[in-house]
Amino acid sequence: MNALVRLAGIMVATTALSAPVLAQTTVVAPSGNSAGTYMDYMKTVYDRGTGSELLQIPIATFDKEFELTPMAAESWSQSEDGLTWTFNLRPGLVWSDGEPLTAEDFVFALQRAATSGYDFAWYWDFAGGIKGWKEVTEGTAEVSTLGLKAVDDLTIEVTTVAPKPYLPSVTSLWYPVPKHKVDELGDDWSLDVSTIVSSGPFEIESWEKSNNSVVLTKSDTYTGPWSPMIDRLELDPTLNAPEVGLPAFLAGDADYSFLNTGQVPVATQRYPDGIRKNAVFATSYISYDLDAAPFNDVNVRRAFYYAVDRDELTSTVLKDIAIPAGSLLPPGYPGYNPDIAAEAVFDPEKAKQFLAEAGFPNGEGFPEVEIWYREEGGYNGAIVPAMAQYLQAEFKEALGISLNIRALPGPEWMDGLRGKKNNIFIAPYEYDYLDPSNFYGIFFNGGRHGYFVPEYDAIVAKADSESDWDTRYGLYAEAEQLMIDQGLIVPLVHPVTIAVVSDQMGGDGVAPNSLGFTQLDRLGHYFFTHITKQ
Amino acid sequence: MFAHIIRRVLSVAFTFIVVSVIIFLMMHSVPGGPFDANDMPVSAAVREKMMAQWGLDQPLHIQYFNYMWGVLHFDFGVPFQSPGETVVQLISRAWIPSLVLGGTGVLIGAPLGILLGMAAALNRNTWIDYLASTVATLGLTIPVFVTSMLLILIFAVWLNWLPASGWPQPNRWILPIACYAAIPLATYARYTRSAVLDTLNRPFVNVLRAKGLSERRIVFQHVMRNSAIPLVTVFLPMFIGTATGSIFVEAMFRVPGLGAYFVSSIEVRDYTLQMALMLLITFMYCLAYLLSDIAYALLNPRIRLGDSE
Repeated sequence: MNALVRLAGIMVATTALSAPVLAQTTVVAPSGNSAGTYMDYMKTVYDRGTGSELLQIPIATFDKEFELTPMAAESWSQSEDGLTWTFNLRPGLVWSDGEPLTAEDFVFALQRAATSGYDFAWYWDFAGGIKGWKEVTEGTAEVSTLGLKAVDDLTIEVTTVAPKPYLPSVTSLWYPVPKHKVDELGDDWSLDVSTIVSSGPFEIESWEKSNNSVVLTKSDTYTGPWSPMIDRLELDPTLNAPEVGLPAFLAGDADYSFLNTGQVPVATQRYPDGIRKNAVFATSYISYDLDAAPFNDVNVRRAFYYAVDRDELTSTVLKDIAIPAGSLLPPGYPGYNPDIAAEAVFDPEKAKQFLAEAGFPNGEGFPEVEIWYREEGGYNGAIVPAMAQYLQAEFKEALGISLNIRALPGPEWMDGLRGKKNNIFIAPYEYDYLDPSNFYGIFFNGGRHGYFVPEYDAIVAKADSESDWDTRYGLYAEAEQLMIDQGLIVPLVHPVTIAVVSDQMGGDGVAPNSLGFTQLDRLGHYFFTHITKQ
Repeated sequence: MFAHIIRRVLSVAFTFIVVSVIIFLMMHSVPGGPFDANDMPVSAAVREKMMAQWGLDQPLHIQYFNYMWGVLHFDFGVPFQSPGETVVQLISRAWIPSLVLGGTGVLIGAPLGILLGMAAALNRNTWIDYLASTVATLGLTIPVFVTSMLLILIFAVWLNWLPASGWPQPNRWILPIACYAAIPLATYARYTRSAVLDTLNRPFVNVLRAKGLSERRIVFQHVMRNSAIPLVTVFLPMFIGTATGSIFVEAMFRVPGLGAYFVSSIEVRDYTLQMALMLLITFMYCLAYLLSDIAYALLNPRIRLGDSE
């Protein structure tokens, strides 16, 4: 009897002890980034550690409907002349080591970015237009001349070179850097879990550097908006490839998985309610070296524009992973112009006519060309190689042109594009901030394509600083029309990612938005703080 | 034999220098550099600063000598991909999973392959032989990423006996080890079968039979020993190949191993790590062939090391 009581006692005690452990909810999620040098978004964007942005609180971010939501800032205002923005920080924010989070930490983040190795410095010039940014990054001006000021602990002032009506949305990638930690340890503060501090909804528990997977936990010190509803989050880049992710998901090792085209029917059959789609704000298009034959002739470029059957492309080889693109901007993106998109029809006769006008009737005498694309993983890796082969067949059939295909590693492809080492490319671009100026900017005054089209540049420059939103969108539409008429690009497709989500997951994060899309990892701050797990 | 070993060690040193120069030159002749961002460039001023910080602004030959001077002191630099540690630390941490899985795979696969090959040779042209040949051919021809997918599908997804992938719980090691074991198993089954058959047809076997030795003694004492030479030739290189990790197996089973670094160090122009990995492989192969040579002499006294002509 005594033994029984004791046993019962032990059982109760064990249950009591294990109860909090059981109540811990852990979500295991695939994660896109896999290089992982510093756990510091403001030090390196492309090679950052997984989840580094979730560790910090941005000035503002987007919710599932792409509405800009204040995060570290409570409010902001623009000066009369449109050149100065004032951001008022939320009081009471702290770093996970208890130090207060101040305006100085935000200002320092950008001052350091402008002066030390930071692969995203161009963003603050190109997107932010911060005064003095170019000069400081080029080393011709002092960092103190930047248009950035911590007025007091809770107020930041940003001055731009021209009015930037969309600046608040640019700040969705402005995270603070713990100045007190950098003063103590230099940039090495973000290399080791024991010295990393966070200001955002999550803290870091562990970091496996061999595959850059991390375990994040709900922060105890975070007082900003959107506190996580789960306790732990395991972000694992090795689950990102659908070929690895889906088997792990089916075996119960992951809570959701991205899918490749072949997997969609299987996953749909087994989890009819678990399928989620996400339209990435991205576009794949053809771009050229505008100065080199044969693409220095607008007729050749127009011929290519009319020779693509986007509907066939997205209903066959790219089924479930892309939708047709008739314009540079994707549907749902601010400034999207359905009229321009509607112009992109498949018209092989018109295409032939343009090609004949360029002096190549039925493709006769057209030089052999090689289209270059960038080798990569993720959604582009699924779309671009298949699309290249489709285009090869399509251009042969519609235009009588032989197109060779070449895949290059990222840096070489970029080098080829910027340095005009080839004359035709498949280029993908994904938005960096939510404003039309983002997409138009990549063709502005050289940009990443080495395009110099003065009429285009003039319209875009005017649109960028226009404060009246209707006029602004009108100007961008004009720029896009010019882009299509001049055949500067051939829009091809907008990628769509598709995933399967476990029925144990709930919350607003996994519920589709009004356009029917679910953001999964793309809007990390919203998604990971708005999911639950049974 | 001692003189031979000395000579071989010297030739290893020479190979080392030649390989290091070739790799260094190839590495630097590939367009792009470690601090080229994927999408947009850092400013010239910042790039200069970073290049100087890593010593990449120096002329190439100076960079080479600086690096090799470090290597002599067992300092392989800091990997650009993981600035918080040294190359040596990175390799020693990432190698463990690869060594555990790949090494175990070879150690399980090779003996099984030998048994299978012997069974096939001793039962030539029976169903055992055909089965062994089928297994060996499949093991060699099916790529590991297909084998891994099949294993995951069968044992993790359908039967639900084992986890699909991951590290470090030992029950997650079973499938990748099985996958790694397939290649040595198949290779050894084929080599053993032909070596044993070859030996069995040699006249001395008939002599042994005439002497009245039992078939078991003939096979295990005499045939095996005489068949071992080709098996030694393949063993160490195969061990190195497998125990340094396979990018496919490690990716499919989500193993945080060394395999992926072979590719990523080239992709991101991680010069220090790339150089160290290549030197490591060179060193291991040199060592493997040296050890194999010594093993030959031990197995077959007629092979005299160092006595040319």
